[in-house]
Amino acid sequence: MTYWRARSNTLVLLACATLAGAVAARDPAWLDIAIAIVINALVALSVGLTFGQAGILSAAQGSFAAIGAYTTAILTVRLGWSPWLALPVAIALPAGLGHGLARLVTRLAPLAVALATLTLSAIIEIVLRSWDNLTGGYVGLAGIPSVFAGQPIAFYGLAVGMLALAVLAYENLMLSRFGRGLTTIRGDRARAIADGIAVPGLLSAAFALAAAMAGAGGWLYAHYFSYLSPGSLGTELSISVLLMMVVGGARHILGPVAGAVILGVLAQLLPAQEVQGLFYGGALIVILLVARNGLLGLVRREGTL
Amino acid sequence: MSQGLVARDVVMRFGGVLALDGAAIEVVPGRIVGLIGRNGSGKSTMFNCITGFVRPTEGRIDLDGAPITGLPPHRVVRAGIARTFQTPRVDLRATVREAVLCGCYPLGRCGFVSAFLGLTSAVREEIRLREQADGVLRQVNLAPLGDQQIGKLAMGQVRLVEVARGIAAGARYLLLDEPAAGLTQSERNMLADAIRVVAKSGVGVLLVEHNFAFVRALCETITVLEAGRVLAVGTADEIAADHRVIESYLGSEPAALVEPA
Repeated sequence: MTYWRARSNTLVLLACATLAGAVAARDPAWLDIAIAIVINALVALSVGLTFGQAGILSAAQGSFAAIGAYTTAILTVRLGWSPWLALPVAIALPAGLGHGLARLVTRLAPLAVALATLTLSAIIEIVLRSWDNLTGGYVGLAGIPSVFAGQPIAFYGLAVGMLALAVLAYENLMLSRFGRGLTTIRGDRARAIADGIAVPGLLSAAFALAAAMAGAGGWLYAHYFSYLSPGSLGTELSISVLLMMVVGGARHILGPVAGAVILGVLAQLLPAQEVQGLFYGGALIVILLVARNGLLGLVRREGTL
Repeated sequence: MSQGLVARDVVMRFGGVLALDGAAIEVVPGRIVGLIGRNGSGKSTMFNCITGFVRPTEGRIDLDGAPITGLPPHRVVRAGIARTFQTPRVDLRATVREAVLCGCYPLGRCGFVSAFLGLTSAVREEIRLREQADGVLRQVNLAPLGDQQIGKLAMGQVRLVEVARGIAAGARYLLLDEPAAGLTQSERNMLADAIRVVAKSGVGVLLVEHNFAFVRALCETITVLEAGRVLAVGTADEIAADHRVIESYLGSEPAALVEPA
């Protein structure tokens, strides 16, 4: 079918994730790691869309995940909602905020955008720490209801399903006039305007879709780990997903996912948590020297996605 | 409703600099109009005022009777006024078809949400846009080059791709910013033919150009700007014989007139 031939990334993802799931299912520790990787991949995918395609360097994607996670945590713990009922809210709220943020920042120069989004994520973290009676402050929120408790393989399936839907949405977008428009905007805004594109509107829409993906990642995080504190997601995640995107290949749809898998697996082989920063920094330097377009850039031509 | 793209009494002030001081121009469907003038005479500013890239300080620009003064540039494009750039702004790795497809953007009716959901309507629309792009490629004789990367084309062909991209969404007016600059003689002829074909299909063309021979060969009427004001308007032959134009624009060097088109 031509429909699926043009959307091979989604199929590749599903095939690889099924295979990985089958292998990881033998060992609970590895299944745990696999789930964490899929959650990271979902947030990394959102930077792939904002930076790799739209050219906006956002350092706030981790914060959108945090907003999604806190939204569902507050709704389920404080108000007793079902996690499934909270899911659309945990996706829509970051999307709405992302849309508004993009309206404000996309007029700025690229470096200023990075700084503005970084500042915003610092502000969000302060709010999460200070708003005690809503977010639990420093202590955080515990007892978030689990989804598929005791069945990690089912949760893995759910997470992969959500990641696959996000990849499919991303892929559909890139196959439309909006995808071409984003590529034009990244290269040359005046050209995009001359094509008749309402640049701020399109950038905001793409940013909202990306924030929705991050929000979904946050929802998964909250209902898998059942505990949330201001340090759980946020700035650190924002930076590591940027790294995953660069390692895997920003311009390729599955690049950020590949980066999340590689860094996630390699991090397990490290002797101690403390060397992680050293390892991440080293990985970045190696990638920039060996494969400037990321690892997928080595095997796939740009534009074939 | 009067047909035509009409700019009247356009004044553009950049700080203390008066770039346009009551300039005017009229483009009618199916005709090719030239806009010439020395460097700094206000040609490019006029161009940018019409296309909405800058907002004129004063004056009025009407498109088929409806005011478009001060509209944001992408809305001007959607209203039916396409433009090209002096230096082609293209992604050199894209193919000719992809570039023209980018110009079809305003024809899309499906929204962003139906696009990422991959609804049938969005998939069908994509097929429709591709057909439209192929039709435009045939119109300007670029169909055989559809799968070529733009980086591999000669400059003349790149300019043609720019023209095709501009009219891809069915523009009724096409503004060309020095399209002949840097082209060889045969490339200029090829481009001139394509511009004639476009005009013949009912598109009004405004040509901002330095090469007087090229303008003279293509345009029925020519407007000459001098210090932000209209110095002369007339047919190509009238302009070529106008002593004020010769003094101001063509200088004391009559050779500029004899240069082949």
